[in-house]
Amino acid sequence: MRAFGMKSSLNRFFAGVTHAHRVPMMGVACVALALFLSSCGSAPPARRAALTEGEGGTRPRYSIVCVIHGDGNYLYHDSRGDKHRADEVTLAEAKTVAERNTQAEMFIFHERRRRHLLLFVPRRDGTLYYYRYGRLIAEESYWRDRGQSRFDPEMELYDRYRAEGSPEPVRLFLYFGHEIPEFGGAGYDASYKKRTFTVDDLADGLRRVARDSTRIDLVVLSSCFSGTPRTISALAPRARYVVASPDNLHLSYFDCGPLERLDIGLREGDMFGFANAFARHAFDRLTEDVQTAVTVAVYDVDRVQGFLRSTGGIYDRALAAVEKKAPASVERCDCAEDAAYALPGINEGITVLYRPPRFGRLKHKESHSGWECWKLLE
Amino acid sequence: MMCVLVYAGMAAAQGNVQNYFNDAACKVKAASDPSQKRDILVGAIQDMSKALGTVQNSPLVSKSDRAGLDRLNASLQEKQDELAGTNGFARVADDQLNAFSEYVVQDMEQADQTITIGVVAALLIVIIIILIA
Repeated sequence: MRAFGMKSSLNRFFAGVTHAHRVPMMGVACVALALFLSSCGSAPPARRAALTEGEGGTRPRYSIVCVIHGDGNYLYHDSRGDKHRADEVTLAEAKTVAERNTQAEMFIFHERRRRHLLLFVPRRDGTLYYYRYGRLIAEESYWRDRGQSRFDPEMELYDRYRAEGSPEPVRLFLYFGHEIPEFGGAGYDASYKKRTFTVDDLADGLRRVARDSTRIDLVVLSSCFSGTPRTISALAPRARYVVASPDNLHLSYFDCGPLERLDIGLREGDMFGFANAFARHAFDRLTEDVQTAVTVAVYDVDRVQGFLRSTGGIYDRALAAVEKKAPASVERCDCAEDAAYALPGINEGITVLYRPPRFGRLKHKESHSGWECWKLLE
Repeated sequence: MMCVLVYAGMAAAQGNVQNYFNDAACKVKAASDPSQKRDILVGAIQDMSKALGTVQNSPLVSKSDRAGLDRLNASLQEKQDELAGTNGFARVADDQLNAFSEYVVQDMEQADQTITIGVVAALLIVIIIILIA
């Protein structure tokens, strides 16, 4: 009854408005709508929970930064034919990791594609989920394109929320996305065609997470072709161990399961052992469902330096040549196929788990060196 | 606004190509007779190859897109060869056809990440696939 009465009143009100009043009223309505729409794009949409006394007073044992790139085509189908978006699946897994680690802080940055309300009003395209001791402390949307360098917006949020104090936490950095370019990098973000992203930007992000003085204990690169001499070299000053796929990596990515209980997985403090267990688990899960090649490698960054020093110049020259070629005239290949890289130390400091594709011309390839290079096609 | 539309077009095109092979894989798994499975796969790959060939000949497609399409076509040709057991490939066994259909889907999804083609070419492929399928 009350609703009916209100409707009648409104009808009477509008019926009483003369044409002379209608035009200015429509103007007011348009301004109000514009203000409403612009508020959708610019007001800081943040939710924060207060830290309890215990949460704020001590520093978590583990600090995890997870970047999930979703500004591109991340569609894949599982073996049942069901569609998934890799970034959405990974976000759900990362939240589980954050909730189950009751001795950690975890930053999850979800980089989404740029959207517009009614085609014109831009909306925030990044979301931070910040967890401490398994509890969601802050959820905040942000603009990804504000700042001089690629990770400026993320690092600003990182500095705002990170726990202070001592001792230094065990640090992990996780990246989920498409192949991180070694040069160029324009078009990595589907909705920012001119923005670039390369391994150097990633290295800069690691430097800032590591606070300039320490190294990240474990870096996980869940992306295609990350086990290259150039990529590992770029990350080397800021990483102790790297888990990466030198070859193609299916979009179901590395399984995050082993990260869910770091207090158990890292009880002995053996990061090398943990990195190997993580890689083994990821490999086993991928080989269950994936018919294409599966390659997961663990790089002990200090121990691969000999190989990187011996081949760095060769690789850089190859990269410079590849950069000048059209994308269709170059191809990735196992470095071991090129005599220039097939040195005695190629396997030093690296654990490789490899299963060839079940079909195709490489199905009989027996091993992978763990290093991926480039070759020019005829 | 143009960027928004181009991105939407590109995403739709990529999604359509991936769905196309996924639909074929679902049909392969639903079929019980191996020869029927093989026919579905051969038909799907041939139709896509035809679509790529038609797009390659279009004056709207750039030179770099043509090179990308060449690589996609070569990859599809290898799959046809493997199905048929020609050009040095061992013929895919009857009991491996379901797995092979998944391989085609996954390999095409990965090709989408490594082989770059522009929005015009991608949209043309989708239009032609819809017309000939």
